[in-house]
Amino acid sequence: MNRFWNLPLRTKVTSVYILANFLILLVNIFLIIGINNMSREIELVYQDNRQLNELSVALDNVQDSMTSYLNSKTSDSLEEYYKSDQAFDSMVQELNDKITDRPFDRMEHNIKNMAQGYLDTVRQTIEAKRGRNVEKYRVRYEKASQEYNYISSYITALNQVQFKNNSENYNEMAAKFRSFERISILVVFFVIAGNVFVIIMLVKSIMKPLGKLADAAEQVAEGNLDAGQVEAEYKDEVGVVTDAFNKMIVSIRDYIEKLRQSMEAERTLKEKELTMEAHLKDAQLKYLQAQINPHFLFNTLNAGAQLAMMEGADRTYEYVQTVADFFRYNVKKQDKPVSIKDEVSLVDNYIQILNVRFSGDIKYEKEVDESLLSTQMPAMILQPIVENCVNHGIREMGDRGIITLKVFRQDNEVCISVKDNGKGMDEATIEDIMNGTLSVDRQKGDSNGIGMDNVIARVRIFTDDEDSIKIISEGEAKGTEILIYLPLETA
Amino acid sequence: MEERIQEEKLNTQTGKKKKSRRNGFFFLSLLLTAMAMILLLVFYQSYMNSFREDKVQKVYDRYYVMIAPDRKSDFMQSVYKGAFERGEKDNIYIDLLGDDLPEDYTKYDLMRIAIDSGVDGIIIDADESEEMTGLLMEADLANIPVVTLLDDNTQATRCSFVGIGGYDVGREYGLQVSDIIKSLRREYFMTTEDAKEEDIAVIDVAVLVNSSEPSTSQNIIISGIKETIARTEQSGSKANLTLVSVDNSNAFSVEESIRDLFINGDVPGIIVCLDELTTTCVYQAVIDYNVVGEVSILGYYNSDTIINAIDRGAVYATIAIDTAQLGRYCVEALEEYNDMGATSQYFTADVTLINRSNVSSYVRKEEQDEQILESPSEN
Repeated sequence: MNRFWNLPLRTKVTSVYILANFLILLVNIFLIIGINNMSREIELVYQDNRQLNELSVALDNVQDSMTSYLNSKTSDSLEEYYKSDQAFDSMVQELNDKITDRPFDRMEHNIKNMAQGYLDTVRQTIEAKRGRNVEKYRVRYEKASQEYNYISSYITALNQVQFKNNSENYNEMAAKFRSFERISILVVFFVIAGNVFVIIMLVKSIMKPLGKLADAAEQVAEGNLDAGQVEAEYKDEVGVVTDAFNKMIVSIRDYIEKLRQSMEAERTLKEKELTMEAHLKDAQLKYLQAQINPHFLFNTLNAGAQLAMMEGADRTYEYVQTVADFFRYNVKKQDKPVSIKDEVSLVDNYIQILNVRFSGDIKYEKEVDESLLSTQMPAMILQPIVENCVNHGIREMGDRGIITLKVFRQDNEVCISVKDNGKGMDEATIEDIMNGTLSVDRQKGDSNGIGMDNVIARVRIFTDDEDSIKIISEGEAKGTEILIYLPLETA
Repeated sequence: MEERIQEEKLNTQTGKKKKSRRNGFFFLSLLLTAMAMILLLVFYQSYMNSFREDKVQKVYDRYYVMIAPDRKSDFMQSVYKGAFERGEKDNIYIDLLGDDLPEDYTKYDLMRIAIDSGVDGIIIDADESEEMTGLLMEADLANIPVVTLLDDNTQATRCSFVGIGGYDVGREYGLQVSDIIKSLRREYFMTTEDAKEEDIAVIDVAVLVNSSEPSTSQNIIISGIKETIARTEQSGSKANLTLVSVDNSNAFSVEESIRDLFINGDVPGIIVCLDELTTTCVYQAVIDYNVVGEVSILGYYNSDTIINAIDRGAVYATIAIDTAQLGRYCVEALEEYNDMGATSQYFTADVTLINRSNVSSYVRKEEQDEQILESPSEN
């Protein structure tokens, strides 16, 4: 049986359809044959009566033709007699000759014998008439008539008995016919019910796995890959699809697992890289800290300044004092906002140190609105900018290099401008500097370690404004101006 | 993982169960369909067989007919029954001719029909008429043996006569008449103070005889009665025996003739009836004309009506005839004649007188006989 369920869907559906139709066809054929046979039997019920009526008519014909011949003696009537005699005789021969317990069999037996006697009498009568033996044919005619009456009477009686019997049979048959009808309806109902049942089972066997598959697919669509395997009940097309689905689920699950593992690996790698970078930066910082210990340097320079004063070297004293101030600023003011004035002083010190270093090559111009000097700003901003101007702008210009520092008010802002007349820069470089994407190597040099990206970032964080710092350069050899906009303190 | 395997195992088991259940349902529905079809087939087969069964009949070797004008009377039916049962034993069918025919044919017509039908034997309640004689001779020519029943035809050749001992019956009637007269005489002497022998009235005894046919058997009975009365008159009983003709020429005439007898007013003291119908009619007339006790009826045959009448005292006595024996004798005579070519010329059936003194024992005996007869068929 399982072999049937494992057949392809098309074969299953077709075979069940054919089976159902075949069964109904079979029942219908059987019913038609049964009903036909029964109808035939019922039709035959009154056949005996019809035959008896025919026999009666044939008997009448014999008697009438004989009487007609006796009356007229025409050849037509004689011919008619012969015909009717033959017809009646052949009918009589077919009558039953057996004695049974059925009254009509015995009556038939009697009629047969009487009819044969009657036919003999009639023949003798006809013979006597042809021989013109008047007395003889009259006597025989009377005998024949009497026998005719007896036979007629017997046929009538038999007809009645037959009719009664046949009516009973008919009633019985009709009743059975009706029961057959009822049972047929019942059987048809059973067969149809059976077929419907089989079809329902077939449809269920097809639809149920499909439904399960659909449910599982829906769960998978909702992201639940752990919905479990769908069991393939049979090896039909649905079974094949179910198997494929199960395999697909397993494959997807494996694929996702692999993907997750590779992503995990990548993340770990990135984490490692970042840690490395942080460590590197930390090392760089520590290195720089080791290089410049401001307190030590400041104390040392102070000692140098006092020595120079005691020895009367005023310029040396001043120089060392300036350097000492410069470093003191570095030590003290790095983590808190400072006034513009402090920053400008630092730039003054720095320029002074550089001019000592480079024999007064750098021309330094200052246009400062004194009222704005108390405005707060982040520490260590202006000096790195000036340092950049010196290093990248005017270093190679000798004594032609000019650095201009301006502090002025523009609308509601304090504007600090650091300008050089150095070699300037192109748009791409400005862009790189502003975005902080300029490579680290290019910023290095003999600076104090604070790069432009650091300066830009701190100004932006302080003002909370992306446009608070600008770099303007009109191209190669046309100098660079860096503008810082600070909010005007209303206090 | 293990849980999943467990679950899948469980699923597989449930799947197997479902499959086997589905297969079961599938087979069940096929079985149901097949059973329904078999049911239809069986029903159809039995239906068709019922027609065929009808056609299978018992076939008999010989066919005898019984012809009796009073074939519907209990008496003749009882004789026929006896003959039929005897015939069955030898696979002979016996027909009571005329029963199925639409016309009420006379026994002569029926005799002719029987001869023309080529039956194997005829049992007929004959008479001494010329027509009957001619028909008997015709039957003889056609080689059909005839047994005369109750009434004989002595002029023609018949193979045997089966009847009752008419003289014995007559003697019984005579003795009963004598008994009645004696009891009346006794009653007269006991109730009348100066009773004289010569004052005793002569009792009229009317014997009802059939008018249409001269019957030998009735004549013998009457002569038996006459002789017995004559013999008993010597002992003092006085009776005036008259023969009253009852018209039995057509239907209902018997009853009318008997009524006439009562209407005329000259009702006889004793009425002797020589057949069943006459007895029943006289009994009814006695009741209707309120002469119960005044008229003593001597009946014929032991039908239920007559037995009841004896029990009530309306009929003085009746002659019980062993009708089954009569029927049996007829068939045996024909069988013997057909087999051996000859048989005894004369068979007489047993007769018993039933009066008030033995009616109850008779009824009991009859009931016992009936039970014995019925019990084998019940089994």
